[in-house]
Amino acid sequence: MVVYSFYIFDRHTECIYARSWLPQSLSQHHSSAPLQPSTASDDAKLIFGTVFSLRNMVRKLGGEDDAFISYRTGNYKMHFYETPANLRFVMLTDTGTMSMRNVLHQIYINLWVEYVVKNPLAPVEHKNGAGVKNELFELGLDQFIRGLM
Amino acid sequence: MTVFALIVINKAGGLIYNKNFHDGLNKISTNDYLVLAGTFHGVHAITARLTPIRPPAPPAGLRPEQVSGLEVLETENFRMQCFNTLTGVKFLLFTDTTQTNVDVTIRKVYDLYADYVMKNPFYSLEMPIRCEMFDRKLQSYVREINNR
Repeated sequence: MVVYSFYIFDRHTECIYARSWLPQSLSQHHSSAPLQPSTASDDAKLIFGTVFSLRNMVRKLGGEDDAFISYRTGNYKMHFYETPANLRFVMLTDTGTMSMRNVLHQIYINLWVEYVVKNPLAPVEHKNGAGVKNELFELGLDQFIRGLM
Repeated sequence: MTVFALIVINKAGGLIYNKNFHDGLNKISTNDYLVLAGTFHGVHAITARLTPIRPPAPPAGLRPEQVSGLEVLETENFRMQCFNTLTGVKFLLFTDTTQTNVDVTIRKVYDLYADYVMKNPFYSLEMPIRCEMFDRKLQSYVREINNR
C-alpha cells in the first residue's frame, strides 16, 4: 500500500493542510507533460473541486444521507471523509488499497481533535493552515501514515 | 444484485441516454440529469489530470499511454462504474454496493450499443439515443441480471 498525498479542507472550502509522500523526483511529474507545470496549491484546488462535485452528485442521486466514500481510476484511488462540521479529509493512495475511511476517521479523532482542536493556542478558523501546522500533528500524521505503508 | 440505472454521455459531455431499471436512486428531473452528465464529464477530465505518478514516457515514436479518469465511484448507497470508450463515449452504470463483475456487464452494454445504436442507419452521431431495439435488448439483459 502506498499513500501519495493527504489534504484537509475546512468549511470555507479552503485547503488548510496538504502533505505529499511522493519522492521529490516523482512529484515533479507534470514537467514532462505538455501541460503547464502545476503547483501543489493548484492540485489542492482541483481535488477540492472534484470531491465537491462528486459529493453533490452522490447526494442528489443517493439521497441526503448518502456519503461519497471513494473513487478509483486506473492509476490511483481517492478516499474521502467528511465530518458533521463540514471538515473534509482527502487521501490519495494506490489502486490496490482497501477502504481508508476508517483511517481518515482515526486521523480526525486521534490527531485532529487531540492536537489541533484541543490546542488552546490554535485559532478557531485555520486561515492559511494556521494552527494545523503544529509539530505534534504533523509528526503524528507522518508516523501514522508511514506505519500504514 | 441490482442494476439501478444506465447513463450514456457523448464525447462533448452531453447526455444522450438515461434509463432507470430499478428503484434505489432518487428520481431527478431530466434537467438535473443533463447537469449531472455535464458535471461528470468535467470531473472525469480532472480526475485524470490529478494522477500522482504518471507512467514513464514510452520510447520515441510511440504514443504515450492515456491516463485513465474515474473508473469506479463508491458511496454508502450505491456504486458507479464508468467505462470510457476509445471515442470518448462514457457509459455510467449504477449498481448496488455488492454487485460484482460490473466490467463484464458494462462491456455487454457497450456491445449492445455498438450493435443496435451504431449500426442503426437512422441514428445520428452524438444525438440522443432513440432506438427501440437497443431499449428492448438492454431492458431484457438487465432484467436477467436483476432477477439472478
